Amino acid sequence: MGRTKGAIARGAVALLCVLIAGTSSLRADTTSERSSSILIFPKVMAITDGIHPTVDTVIQISNTSNSMVYAHCVYLNGAPLDPRFPPGAQNPPQCQEVDFTIFLTKQQPTHWVVSTGRRVEPSPTCNLNFSACDGAGIDPGAIPPMGDYFTGELRCVEVDSSGAPINGNHLKGEATIVVPDGDASKYNAVGLMGLNTGASSNNSDSTLCVGGGLSGDCPTGAEYNACPQTLILNQYAADASNPVIDELGGPNSAVRTELTLVPCTQDFENQVPGRGIVQFLIINEFEQLFSTSTTVTCWGNLDLSSRLYASFNAIFNEDFLGSRFAQTRMTPADPTQSGFVGVAEEFHVVPPGSPNFTRAAANLHGEGQRPSGDIIRLQGGF
Amino acid sequence: MRPGARPAGSRRISVIHALAVVGLLAGAAQVARADVASDQAAAILVFPKLRVDTKNVAGQGRVDTLIRVSNTSAQAISMRCFYADATPVCSNGTGSCLAPGACTGVCVPQWQETDFVVNITARQPIAWLASQGAAGCEESPVPGMPCFPLTTNGGRIGPNGQTNNGSRIPPAPEDPFIGELKCIAVDRNDVPVERNDLKGEVQITRVEVPQASGVDVETYNAIGIPSIPGTNNGDNTLILGGNVCAGGAKAGSICAAAADCPGGSCISAAEYSSCPNILILDHFFDGATDPISGETVTTDLTLVPCSEDFLNQAPLTTPVQFLVFNEFEQRFSTSRRITCFQEFRISDIDTHTPTKSIFSAAVNGTLTGQTRMRGVADQDTGHGHTLLGVAEEFRGGRSSAAFNLHFTGSRPQSDFVYLP
Repeated sequence: MGRTKGAIARGAVALLCVLIAGTSSLRADTTSERSSSILIFPKVMAITDGIHPTVDTVIQISNTSNSMVYAHCVYLNGAPLDPRFPPGAQNPPQCQEVDFTIFLTKQQPTHWVVSTGRRVEPSPTCNLNFSACDGAGIDPGAIPPMGDYFTGELRCVEVDSSGAPINGNHLKGEATIVVPDGDASKYNAVGLMGLNTGASSNNSDSTLCVGGGLSGDCPTGAEYNACPQTLILNQYAADASNPVIDELGGPNSAVRTELTLVPCTQDFENQVPGRGIVQFLIINEFEQLFSTSTTVTCWGNLDLSSRLYASFNAIFNEDFLGSRFAQTRMTPADPTQSGFVGVAEEFHVVPPGSPNFTRAAANLHGEGQRPSGDIIRLQGGF
Repeated sequence: MRPGARPAGSRRISVIHALAVVGLLAGAAQVARADVASDQAAAILVFPKLRVDTKNVAGQGRVDTLIRVSNTSAQAISMRCFYADATPVCSNGTGSCLAPGACTGVCVPQWQETDFVVNITARQPIAWLASQGAAGCEESPVPGMPCFPLTTNGGRIGPNGQTNNGSRIPPAPEDPFIGELKCIAVDRNDVPVERNDLKGEVQITRVEVPQASGVDVETYNAIGIPSIPGTNNGDNTLILGGNVCAGGAKAGSICAAAADCPGGSCISAAEYSSCPNILILDHFFDGATDPISGETVTTDLTLVPCSEDFLNQAPLTTPVQFLVFNEFEQRFSTSRRITCFQEFRISDIDTHTPTKSIFSAAVNGTLTGQTRMRGVADQDTGHGHTLLGVAEEFRGGRSSAAFNLHFTGSRPQSDFVYLP
């Protein structure tokens, strides 16, 4: 009898483990190719001031469901307070938010240009003789323009018709960064899927619980998938040459990488920017390890080849790394700090220092789940 | 009590243990429901599109592809990779089918596989050019090209004695070349292993002719298919997703739920995660004017099947249904049969007159659209009909940007990869 009870206990423990495992499996990582309830576009550029090189971004968002979908979107401008000078401790990011709401009908795609936004007005005619029909289609609502100097993120949260957050997982999106000569790079928005673990999956308040467990801010636990514990980037060592250009176009090309990181935690209600220390672990082709760290507040766009922060950037340089390629793993410094999501953009320069370059963006890889979770605090009712 | 019969208490213990085991398996299956993804490490990497044209045969500039793969774990790993050469061949040998108008005969598609093995040390990033392949750096024929740096012949080994010994990558089988690459995590005996530790990227670079200053680069992530812990039997038939009836009148048949298996149960047959049921592409309609640059935008789409028979060289044909929505929520659809590998401009899918295509801005009346793609399933239990792919957006025919497609859903049919 004692053996039977012991067996029952062991079986129960095993099943409990399964249930726990099953629960944690629901909190999979972020996604860049599944419809989600929160979309994060980490790198949005709209610089049209005539002083700096012009660059703009096309945002595309689609409703993947057969029902009407609403989304509350927030632009967060991470440009330095004085854009004429480089960002730094004396020139911190503005962290200015602007928000708006869009609605999309069944399976509707929409788009807008960040610098000009999108007005609600009669559609232009797009036909065989006229294809410059930006704005044609059912307007998703008024979208504010973000010129002259916007460098930051866009975050959209699926809500119901009353504006309350829901876990619909009906949104997908892409950002295309374009310069006037047509050169472009494109990446998929990072998605946080809403959890559907029961009636209390999402309490629809303005505090969005991204991963993590029960807490005072999250009395019912996680409402959305956790941000990844580790981000992984495969990159060219800074200033390394592109071997294809070396092979087919001549020597002396150079590649630089911009890494854009945004904290998962953001408090749009109290205007408290997300902040965290990122630990970098860099592995070269010889399996040698190096590490460094930096602090990201609000929005960080790190040029890994810039001489601006020599002590930070030297470690990414080909001269130091000794190999053309490297793998970089990024983790928050400790579990209590904000997690991050991001995107990488490469600039291939021919020859080094010349204005001729081409750009290509790629989504980062994610690994693991943040144990302590993150919180996005939206603006409350007025 | 019959001789040999176990006491009731013992049976109860067995049942409890069995329940626990079933629970564990179910839990494992649930834990293993990691989806196919291009932003997480996996056991199978699919690179849907590689392109080589170093001599500008196609007249679009000189093109080569850089493939980058990393081991994300702290243990060494091996991978077995397969190039699928889909370069069409001109029936009368008059010219390349990739060069417009060069072939006066018929362009016949081919699907030829070439495979190789690569050993990657802990957390090591490696890379190679599709046109050149790779070998140990000490024997690399072209200085400065990507190679394997850790070899005993080269006198350099990793911190824990790990090396890339035994790795050699052949160049793409021909130039010009277009095709797919698939890499599978294996052990040192080429046996598939349950290790979701591989990540990869593709970079296609095009250098304009004759001016080398005109360069275009596009990048996309390899699509990762994760393995399911505790399910891989290590044979050369890889089962991707799917369920079968266990027991009952329909034992062995495909099922979606227990109700499909009278007298039995519906269990997972998968060793790897299921390929997606539907692919979703957000795109500019072909011919649209980019609102920022004023350039004309076109989109190329590459689709490859999840199921592949590298053993018998048997390409699979799949009907694909395309469902298109514009920004007015107006809906169009078309379909096309795809065999093995297909790359096409989206406005060529349904017509030879692009301006009259349902993928044309002129027809749709809006700049952008959403297209959902579904490979049509059948009752074939030896192959599935799901697809993977990648899209490329061109502005003015010069600048391009590649990006990964979105996915949704899974299906009860398995896909199979048969290895030689």
